[in-house]
Amino acid sequence: MILMQRGILGFEGYKRFVLLMPSAGEPLLWLQAVDEPGLAFVVANPAVIKGDYNPAITAHDIESLDIQRGEDIVLLSIVTVQPQPLRVTANLLAPILINAANRKANQIVLEYPAYPVQYLVLEDDAMRGRDGTQQQIDRGQIDKLSVAMAAL
Amino acid sequence: MRIVQLESDTQIGGVMLILTRKLGESIVIGDDIKITILGIKGKQIRIGVEASTGMTVHREEVYRLIQEQNQQAAKSVEVPGEQLSAIWDKLRNRPLP
Repeated sequence: MILMQRGILGFEGYKRFVLLMPSAGEPLLWLQAVDEPGLAFVVANPAVIKGDYNPAITAHDIESLDIQRGEDIVLLSIVTVQPQPLRVTANLLAPILINAANRKANQIVLEYPAYPVQYLVLEDDAMRGRDGTQQQIDRGQIDKLSVAMAAL
Repeated sequence: MRIVQLESDTQIGGVMLILTRKLGESIVIGDDIKITILGIKGKQIRIGVEASTGMTVHREEVYRLIQEQNQQAAKSVEVPGEQLSAIWDKLRNRPLP
């Protein structure tokens, strides 16, 4: 169980979450609120979405979650799915930072405007990324995510 | 301890408290938050915020933007699981450039 310290912005009352993997090997996961069955977020490893994602995590963020080692850091981006027309975006500006060692987590806000709140992942039937080019999903990242998730 | 000169009514809690400060002066909120006017240049005001480590400080419009995006994202649960799998399949099976 993941324990939000301050909660997700706008949903601060919900502190307890679990990560659900609908299908093994798929990087789209559910962050489900334990205390409210109707509240869940689609999340994904941002590194799978944007290979060079390199957020600046502050000492304050590290201290808030008692992070002792770099290996304990897990980042997840909240994904927004609009079904009609299909549009999938990921919030790269405010990821969920998790300490795998103690399950504490926070939604952290990175220095604005380095990363977008709506990073385009997928639109309609065309496989076009934000910059108009074909995007390639790195299978190595998928494996890393599976390992990180297994540790949680 | 500075006494802050307050204008008109001074109701706190849901109502905006209005204060006038000069360059270099501060406002203290509760026990843990101190706001200082660091500089004024044209229409821009530089504000310093000192708060205990448990607190986060954000520009209001950024905070609001993220809250709104979270609200939108929470609605994604209405998308059936099969559609999410289909999305991932599309992403994975794209032809490599």
